[in-house]
Amino acid sequence: MTVRTRRPMSTQDLVLIALFCAVIVALGLLPPVSIAVIPVPVTLQTLGVMLAGAVLGPVRGAGACALVVLLTVLGLPVLSGGRGGLGVIPGPTGGYLLGWIPGAFVTGWLVKRFAVRAGGRLTSLAAHFAACLVGGLLVVYAVGVPWTSMTTGLGIGKAALGAAYFAIGDTLKAAVAAAVAHHVRRSYPIEPR
Amino acid sequence: MRMSLYVPGTSPLHRVPAGWKLAVLLLCGVAVFLTRSVTLLGPAAGLALVLLLTVRAPREQLARQLRGPLWVLAAVVAVAALSESGHAALVVGLRLVILLLTALSVTLTTRTSELQGVLEVMLRPLDRAGLVNAPAVALAVSLALRFIPEVFQQFQEIREAQAARGLRGSPLALVVPLVIRVLRSAEDIAAAIDARCYPPARSRHPDRDDRLSGKAPG
Repeated sequence: MTVRTRRPMSTQDLVLIALFCAVIVALGLLPPVSIAVIPVPVTLQTLGVMLAGAVLGPVRGAGACALVVLLTVLGLPVLSGGRGGLGVIPGPTGGYLLGWIPGAFVTGWLVKRFAVRAGGRLTSLAAHFAACLVGGLLVVYAVGVPWTSMTTGLGIGKAALGAAYFAIGDTLKAAVAAAVAHHVRRSYPIEPR
Repeated sequence: MRMSLYVPGTSPLHRVPAGWKLAVLLLCGVAVFLTRSVTLLGPAAGLALVLLLTVRAPREQLARQLRGPLWVLAAVVAVAALSESGHAALVVGLRLVILLLTALSVTLTTRTSELQGVLEVMLRPLDRAGLVNAPAVALAVSLALRFIPEVFQQFQEIREAQAARGLRGSPLALVVPLVIRVLRSAEDIAAAIDARCYPPARSRHPDRDDRLSGKAPG
């Protein structure tokens, strides 16, 4: 990855990070949706994570997620279902929370690199979808699964099986996030950073 | 909307400084992974439970914080018991119970502002090394706290408006306007903050505008 023209973070970047952190929290406050096909209730919080990366770009997207993690550690009930507090991090699902930071970064980087330049409507949608899937699902699980395995002593395979349970919901969310990011980019474009 | 998990009180744990509580919690987190002895972990888990009970938190709040993790815990213990041994399952279960209960005790007895204070102390060396801009982090935290209820309310407004248009179930119709509103308001908020010369730029960076020096107002 090449780092070009590292301009310092402006006030507006800071505000966007804080606002998107608020969006991620607000989406988690909504009651979980039960979709008929999927046995587990789906919360919209990780949709916010994918959106942070896809709309704001790698640095600010990761910043928004890092801020959510920080608020969680500070003891605020910002996670879905009103959870929060220091206990989340060493718990079995703590890795998924921490994985949001690199997840949003990778999503943002892929969007910045490929999706922004995609010409047609379908290519743009597909590129956004791929970025959300790789960042919001693969990268997050790549941190979350070993974390579960480490904190519980279960094998990686078993931990991955647990994650697979949520993969359908997260794939759907990646599709929604891709469509939202595409529409936002068309009607209110901001430069991803 | 209650924004903090803090429960006011005068228990012994309430009176311990936040920094100490966090340090002990960290040590505790390392310690439980160093042993596999049930005779050590068992009493420790009991101690953690007693600790949590001394906080005297409202029962519904305890239930709310513990319900989710306990399901995960039950699943993990069940899988460990089936795939490995009863002993392994017990060790894993006790470790997680200790971590969960002690961390919850600290969370319930420590004000967000106290934890923010600890955070500032921890960020100070990083700030000096030029890795993190501590006042910017502090501003981001307070902005986020301020805007969570705001964004949630905007979301409800959009939801009602779209329901009136017959777009109740469409996630696109909900999230796209929310994101655009957020992006729009960011410009105004940033302008308002800039007009108030906040946050102060770091004095070691002459290329950044140095309008205000000294500590950021809390």
